[in-house]
Amino acid sequence: MSQRRLPALDPLGALLSAIGVAALVFLPFVVFKANRVVPGEARTLLEFLPAGPLLAFDLMLAVAAGTALFVANARWRLAVALLGVIAVAMAVAAAGNALTPPGNKVVRVAPGAGFWVLLIALGLMTTDAITRLRPGPAMRVLLLALFAAAAGLAFASGAFDHLSIMREYAVNSDRFAREARQHVLLAFGSLAAAVVVALPVGILCHRIPRIRAGVIGTLNLIQTIPSIALFGILMAPLGALAAAFPWAAEHGIRGIGTAPAVVALFLYSLLPVVANTVVGLARVSPAAVDAARGMGLTTRQILAHIEIPLALPVILTGIRIVLVQNIGLVTVAALIGGGGFGAFVFQGIGQTAMDLVLLGAIPIVMLAFSSAVVLDALVDLMNRAAR
Amino acid sequence: MSKPLKSVIVVALLALGGLTPSQATVVVSSKLSSESVMIGQMIRLLLNAAGISTVDRTALGATPVVRKALIAGEIDLYTEYTGNAGFFFNRTSDPAWKDLRQGYELGSRLDYEANHIVWLTPANASNAWALAVRKDVARINHLRTMSDFARWVSGGGKVVLACSAEFANAGTLRSLEKTYGFRLRSEQLIVLAGGETSATIGAAAARTNGTNTAMVYGTDGGIVAADLQVLDDDRHDQPVYAPVPTIREAVLRANPRIAQIVAPLMAGLDTATLQALNARVQVNGESAAAVAEDYLRSRRLLP
Amino acid sequence: MISIESLTKRYGSSTVVDAVSMSIESGSITVIVGTSGSGKSTLLRMINRLVEPTSGRVLIDGADTTSTPAHLLRRQIGYAIQSHGLFPHRTVAENIATVPHLLGWEKARITARVAELLRVFQLDVATCGRKFPHQLSGGEQQRVGVARALAAEPALLLMDEPFGALDPVIRSKAQDDLLDIQRRFGTTIVLVTHDMDEAFRLGDRVAVMREGRVLQHDRPGLLLTHPADPFVTRLSGTAERALRLLSLTTAGELAEPGPPEKRTVAAAASLREVLSDLIWSGTDAATVMNSDGTSAGRLTLARLLAHGRQD
Repeated sequence: MSQRRLPALDPLGALLSAIGVAALVFLPFVVFKANRVVPGEARTLLEFLPAGPLLAFDLMLAVAAGTALFVANARWRLAVALLGVIAVAMAVAAAGNALTPPGNKVVRVAPGAGFWVLLIALGLMTTDAITRLRPGPAMRVLLLALFAAAAGLAFASGAFDHLSIMREYAVNSDRFAREARQHVLLAFGSLAAAVVVALPVGILCHRIPRIRAGVIGTLNLIQTIPSIALFGILMAPLGALAAAFPWAAEHGIRGIGTAPAVVALFLYSLLPVVANTVVGLARVSPAAVDAARGMGLTTRQILAHIEIPLALPVILTGIRIVLVQNIGLVTVAALIGGGGFGAFVFQGIGQTAMDLVLLGAIPIVMLAFSSAVVLDALVDLMNRAAR
Repeated sequence: MSKPLKSVIVVALLALGGLTPSQATVVVSSKLSSESVMIGQMIRLLLNAAGISTVDRTALGATPVVRKALIAGEIDLYTEYTGNAGFFFNRTSDPAWKDLRQGYELGSRLDYEANHIVWLTPANASNAWALAVRKDVARINHLRTMSDFARWVSGGGKVVLACSAEFANAGTLRSLEKTYGFRLRSEQLIVLAGGETSATIGAAAARTNGTNTAMVYGTDGGIVAADLQVLDDDRHDQPVYAPVPTIREAVLRANPRIAQIVAPLMAGLDTATLQALNARVQVNGESAAAVAEDYLRSRRLLP
Repeated sequence: MISIESLTKRYGSSTVVDAVSMSIESGSITVIVGTSGSGKSTLLRMINRLVEPTSGRVLIDGADTTSTPAHLLRRQIGYAIQSHGLFPHRTVAENIATVPHLLGWEKARITARVAELLRVFQLDVATCGRKFPHQLSGGEQQRVGVARALAAEPALLLMDEPFGALDPVIRSKAQDDLLDIQRRFGTTIVLVTHDMDEAFRLGDRVAVMREGRVLQHDRPGLLLTHPADPFVTRLSGTAERALRLLSLTTAGELAEPGPPEKRTVAAAASLREVLSDLIWSGTDAATVMNSDGTSAGRLTLARLLAHGRQD
């Protein structure tokens, strides 16, 4: 007699489904706060979704769970996961609208633990499905751009305007743009400056093994200085410099704000780039370099045409590390007047307004994530070209 | 300094010059808290209305950062708290801080002598640690001051106080108990790990575990919304932290009107007013600048 | 054409190459052979100034090698190494075109030269040029390495253990190919190896090095029959020397007139191969056939053995 075999259970799917169900049943979907600072009460989907949409939502999640568990085809998984994310987003938007009395600007409807866990579970399902499809680097960047565009449209449409985080944004919208620019400028600017210095230093360390230990040791030491301390330490000399060169102060070199932040970030960026340059150059085939010399390429030609191109994937990886690191570190710069998204984080902490903290923290995470994806794609492209 | 070194420094400095705007007339700054930002915005709007151009650098950073910036001349004006001078000049045990006028005069003198920083008119409020009790409890037991509170507690009043660990253990509570002659037993205390007054206020508002008294900062925005009443420190046990605009002498010399412009504003900012304004920013989530402007118009301080 | 005059290289207190003098004829293949540490690679690398001599000089066609900047000198000299050192991020065509590119050849000339070299080295002209080194087999990579060294039509080619990384089957084919190419282009070749068989196979002249000194620089046969040093004998191997000597002569060279025999051998075959063949077939004599089918004569076992005897 023929034996019906149970369809194979996908282990990740099982985990995500279990987490998702637990989140839906036990955790609050949103938190209703009478005002900005009180802790707030949990609200489940039952309390604000009418019967029809609620059924549709539960059905969607059930389909997602089923797909996660039993369907192996990556394209199907991706499609269902995306639909799940959209459903959850729509539900939380609906919560904001339903629970906010019309015209009331004081109450806060914040996404609750249940929302976050469901979003993360569906998000993991999405990224897992994408990984299974094994997209090339260009495709990955394209997908990222599509997600960003879709999210941007969703926010711009005003669907989430009643949610607590968007309320904070509404109050701070012009500052948000300004801090965003500042954050990007600080992170990328310090990186650019560091690369200009660290690349030659790395090349020197590769050429002259004697200085390698000393240079890397010094940079290691700098790396261990806690960021807040370094920012503080830099304020005095930069302030003195601004006093000695008055025109410098006029051009923005002061003891507070952008200047110490950039200098500190620059110092922190040196080690990964120098170390990766040294490692990358060391991995270049010595035979290729010997052959190049034997054929009559000058030292500069060898560096430019052979060594750097072959070391580039490793160097870019170092740059990727620095960029993600810097995006996070710029957060601390807000403490010394450097601005950036950290300003919202610290203000939120001071005022015990978690939504303000999230207004600062979420863009930082998204910025770091996007930078990592783009740079990883770049490293991938380099690797394919220069095997 | 050697010429090549000088040019290297020049180039490096030029390269460092970020988006920070260049020199303007008066750089108005503030600390990070919503109250500091709000008062900073009020001052800035008043100065603008009086024809003095300003640069907005409110929410600059933590106290040490803003203070250093003022002394170094990177900012021109920000609102400090009178009691903090005790920490700046290492004289925390001086009894002068416990009185607003004496503390103001002492701090003002010390800061001018040491740093040529002028203290303008202070507000008539204190943002010090205090105890706030539920309004219904206060009404029933006639509690208006800390002395009343001590009498009520010693007389067996059912008090449950929510406070931070620092408040309970670092000496503030003991100091109050000693000055006012009461003692809270451990079962009358709910000690929270962090220092957030929003949590203590929330506990008192919701009567969590019987809480009816909360540790607060004197001008906290949450007090009004939670229907609490701050108990007056009638025996002056705690230092007074009155908001006071501090300005660099050189800037004041260049714009002497600033003192007269700021005076009526600060004089009108008492505890109740600050609580109400802070409530709008902290609790209702309105922008500090908007609340500042609204207040100035309502008091006819802006034309 | 190449005159090495008292070339010495010292690193600190150790002398790696000790006052070596030799002259190398144009159009010949000179093999420098020795054990590792004998200084043979260093000697080779002093010719194109990858290593600068401590003392002594090298003259190429009468001109001192130090009279031009080192990198310009090297563009005139081919250089092929054991691990071929192909550039992984460049295609085969781009690799080969490296030195012509440096010398500023026009594009058309470079393309033609690359195609010619691919043909000569039996690499598929249509597909190979576009491939990357990692897509080639070991043998193909080695051929590309030599092609690259010859791309700019140098008069001199330096090779440092070029066949060391190849497996034995491909190695002998590669050696044969090198002989063909040298005949075709007429390049002077200086080749370093530790393999005595290879030295005997390829070299018009063989120089034996030991501890920085050249013990003997002679035709390979003379190394066997008149060794200048016991070390030369040791290196040649006493067990193999008779057979080695036989391998230096072809059947055609030793054939004498005589009656036709049932067994035939090619005129180009070495005496060593003929000996092996005669033993295997159990015959005493064979007819030597030219490649065009005509008879070159006959070869007897006795005559063969006599030739292999040290005399």
